[in-house]
Amino acid sequence: MITSPRFDKTLRIFNWVAAASIFIALLVAFFYAPVERTMGNVQRIFYFHVGSAWVGAIAFFVALAAGVLYLRKSDRKWDTLALASVEIGLVFLTMATVAGSVWGKPAWNTWWLWSPRLTLITVAWLTYAAYFMLRGAIEDEERRGRFAAVYVIVAFVTIIMAYVSVRILRDIHPVVVGGAMESAQGASEGLQEFSGLDSAKMGISLTVSTTAFSFLYIAWLLNRIRLQRIADAVKDLKIQVTTRLQGDHA
Amino acid sequence: MSEHTPLTRASESESKVFLTAVWAIVWKDLRIEQHTRQTISVMVMFSVVTVIMFNFALEANLDAARNVATGLLWATILLAGTLGLNRSLAIERENQTIDALLMAPIPRNAIYLGKVISVTLFTLALEVVLILLFIVFFDKPLWRPVVLLVLVLGTIGYVAAGVIVTSMTIQTRSREVLLPVLLLPLSLPLVLPSATAVALYMFPQQPVWGEVQSAVSIIIIYDLLMLTAGFLTYHFVVES
Repeated sequence: MITSPRFDKTLRIFNWVAAASIFIALLVAFFYAPVERTMGNVQRIFYFHVGSAWVGAIAFFVALAAGVLYLRKSDRKWDTLALASVEIGLVFLTMATVAGSVWGKPAWNTWWLWSPRLTLITVAWLTYAAYFMLRGAIEDEERRGRFAAVYVIVAFVTIIMAYVSVRILRDIHPVVVGGAMESAQGASEGLQEFSGLDSAKMGISLTVSTTAFSFLYIAWLLNRIRLQRIADAVKDLKIQVTTRLQGDHA
Repeated sequence: MSEHTPLTRASESESKVFLTAVWAIVWKDLRIEQHTRQTISVMVMFSVVTVIMFNFALEANLDAARNVATGLLWATILLAGTLGLNRSLAIERENQTIDALLMAPIPRNAIYLGKVISVTLFTLALEVVLILLFIVFFDKPLWRPVVLLVLVLGTIGYVAAGVIVTSMTIQTRSREVLLPVLLLPLSLPLVLPSATAVALYMFPQQPVWGEVQSAVSIIIIYDLLMLTAGFLTYHFVVES
């Protein structure tokens, strides 16, 4: 139960860690990472784009796990975790898409195209956006949690399909997380070769930015959970006050 | 050996009960449909109207219409499918027969599987009509076995997702409105390769199986994932 609207100590620490690590990641992306051979400075979006896409995938996986745990334990905290994670995952997915679009303009000479990868990411975005429609349509709290948990499990199929499909179908978008062959393919399609000093620096920069985005995710998650708890507490208080008042009148 | 016999017998009879339950539900739905003719007739009427509407919209350019025929086919199946799903599952709520089904001493997954099979059968019946209509209007070889295979596999995955989502939406405030919003994005990873596969296999004079192989494998993966997800979570959706 939350009594004070102030941040507690852990939350404050996480907020500062997230802010500092994002700042470091920006410095690394702009000053430490080498200039890419074919694309030039534009390629620096890579660190932001991959970082946010990575965290988006993690967030939906966390939501899936929270959904499974809610169905097993029926504890409200898992529902809150799933809700928070889906919401933040959607924000990260949007960030990755916008960054990718900005990068796509110089790299592919178009803001957007309907390649399988991009299409399926849009589909995943829509699927998780619909999660909030489902929640909004159910009043009973226990049922809302249960249905939302089932939906979040079913929705994860779109993430798996996005992962599987880009490995089966041909796509203009390079596969970053995967085998050496795919990295080589990605390299030939634009990214610098994944060997030598330059690419080692790129690898370090990518690790730093991914870590920074992960810290940002954790900080946002904790803040969102705190907000939800406050909202729940207010709702409970309202019910208590209403029953008390009705009791007085009777 | 003798130790194992009761166990195997128990699991054997369990699976027998399961299959009998699935079959009973499918049979019940088919019988209801035979008497009321509500689900398939609504789906077919809706599809015919939609196809004719598309025809008028594209009449000026018949070649364009032929090129988008597979997209139209899948769009029509999806939209008519939401009608069929709503009808088939709402009937159980309206007549409160879902309570009887839940009280029956059968596993909940059996209800899910039965519903998936019966709605798939309704949708396949609709597709027979649609294929005939599309052959007449667009003059495309939709009868090719691979096209039919893709249609059947795609329908199974769509209905597998549809039954689980519809079971939720019919218990909410917005009911029919909510279903397409939830189900259409969820089924797109399946419909996109299906539409591509049908298009790839229909247009050339000499279609090649290798061209559609990857799309078909994606469809099968989706079907398996969705059936598993539905199978495992269905009993959480119907509990009250």
